[in-house]
Amino acid sequence: MPPFRIPKSLLAVLAALVLLAYVGYLVVYVVYAVELFQWPFDYDQGEGFELYDAVLYSRGEWPYRDNATYPFYASNYPPLFHLLIVPLLPVFGSQLIAGRLVSFAATLVTGATIFVLVRRKAGGWFIPLVSGLAYLASNYVYQIGPLCRMHMTMVMFEALAIAFVSEFEDPRHGTRNLLLGLLMLVCAGYTKQMAVFTVAAALFYVFLRDVKRALVAGVVLAAVAGLIFWLLNVATGGQWWINVIQANVNEFDYRQTVFLFGQWFRLHTVFILLAAAYLIYELFWDRLSAYSLWFFFSLGAGALSGKWGAGFGYFTTAVAAACLASGLALGRLLKASSASQRVRSRPWATGHALLPLLIPLLYLLQAPRMLHMPTSGPVFGPLARAFGVSGELVEGDCATFQYYDAMGYTQLGHLLVADDYAAGEEILNYVRTSDGPVLSEEAMFSLLAGEPVVTNPTQLLNLYNNGLLDTAEIVDRINRQEFGLVIFRAQFYPPPVLNAIGQNYQPVEHLCMNGFYYHVLWPRRRFAGISGLSGE
Amino acid sequence: MPPASNTHRSLQSCTLTWLCYNVRVMVTKRQLGIMVIVCGLLGVLGPAVVDVLGAGQWSGFGPLQLLVTGLAVVAIAVGGILVCLGDRPA
Repeated sequence: MPPFRIPKSLLAVLAALVLLAYVGYLVVYVVYAVELFQWPFDYDQGEGFELYDAVLYSRGEWPYRDNATYPFYASNYPPLFHLLIVPLLPVFGSQLIAGRLVSFAATLVTGATIFVLVRRKAGGWFIPLVSGLAYLASNYVYQIGPLCRMHMTMVMFEALAIAFVSEFEDPRHGTRNLLLGLLMLVCAGYTKQMAVFTVAAALFYVFLRDVKRALVAGVVLAAVAGLIFWLLNVATGGQWWINVIQANVNEFDYRQTVFLFGQWFRLHTVFILLAAAYLIYELFWDRLSAYSLWFFFSLGAGALSGKWGAGFGYFTTAVAAACLASGLALGRLLKASSASQRVRSRPWATGHALLPLLIPLLYLLQAPRMLHMPTSGPVFGPLARAFGVSGELVEGDCATFQYYDAMGYTQLGHLLVADDYAAGEEILNYVRTSDGPVLSEEAMFSLLAGEPVVTNPTQLLNLYNNGLLDTAEIVDRINRQEFGLVIFRAQFYPPPVLNAIGQNYQPVEHLCMNGFYYHVLWPRRRFAGISGLSGE
Repeated sequence: MPPASNTHRSLQSCTLTWLCYNVRVMVTKRQLGIMVIVCGLLGVLGPAVVDVLGAGQWSGFGPLQLLVTGLAVVAIAVGGILVCLGDRPA
């Protein structure tokens, strides 16, 4: 007999508040996603290049090329995300909505996978539902989810891999589950290389439970993945290895890693602590599950976030794993509490009796830590005032956004305004009236104008920093002012390219779009032509 | 049904070949603990070895080395506890 009873009405109210909070985050996420589906330009630098890779595949061309020759373009990512976009290109054309839909759908599948796993293991509806919604409520998932980037698709395949591999001991479908899990791991790895940590988690789980089977699975996985790797390298004349492996070796700053770990913990505290407790419990008092191991190994991906070009996105796998493991932890506690028949000490009995109250309180404690929302408009304005964040702004380089994020400063997550669309159209006009190919730091200006995509700047910079790029041809073309237009944003080009542009091109306008300055440069010959006309 | 742990007598003697062939070999807490301790020792010694081999001399303890060493010490402690837990399946 429990020492006291918690009124069911109180539990119902708390559960309703929790669902309101996390469904509220889902609404904010959908609003942001729909906004991005309508935005034709790069919202995050690199989106256009991901789409262009899909366009190249649709034409039967490889995106892994020699960066030293025109158009100085290559992809630095594996192909699967881009291949998933290809079927949508006939529907949407060469538009970013194609890739953004794939990524957004991937986040929904991941959330659903978490829900199914927690429901299967822990039972009930409340904890599984909140666990799935919690993933979509994460600041990191919100900001990156609807972008045309491959990261969230990788996380989807990772979650599915863990879901299958965790059931490899099933007496009827064990082998099938293991094979499907291995297939998902291959898919994850060929979406983004970082999936290697989930591969390690999955194989280590199998190793703990069945060493022989793990060795066989590891050999099979290595053989299949290795064969694909070799075929890609042969088919691309060695450019696959250069662009996807060698180019991705960048400078590492451990301080960035430490900062991001702290931010990740601050934003997802309750989920992380519950997942860590679950891991510790299984490590010492029970058997390690695939879910706990996934959480542990996903921290390795987070450790790589100090690499140049990396960021909080490297923690999205850890967010998924934490949401999953925390749901399992709470579900397990609840099951143990209701199944206990022994007469325990009063503190133990009190704790168990309080558990149905503690669980929604924990979720409510966590919810505001992830707060992110627009702070203006007929709906979000009053809500922002209610939450005390109506005066919060995010300062961009040249614009201020009425958006609040518990992360602090962020380049992503805010909604777009009419001025952004106008600036984008103005830049497009420069592209359409250019008298030569366009050297643009973002691909969508070229793609929307039907112009060839020239350069993938960060890839050029990575290759240059690794001593793998001959800049002779691109510098020569810049010196001859062959490019009719240069569009800069972050100026992530190799120094020789920047020097050559500085000597041969001149700024004609600086435009503010989406909070960033876009610098439009004409070749100096064009200014000479103008000054000649004016009689100077 | 064969036992879950890999310390069954038949495994040690292998007189019942079919049982030896078909029984699942699992990792115990002790074995996992040993693996974790080895990883921890690599974490402690690794940065120093890499430094000496790479630069030719020990360049001292920076913040990153301190961080890695701290994590390695925790790993060794965790491994030690796991070793004490014996033959329970990991």
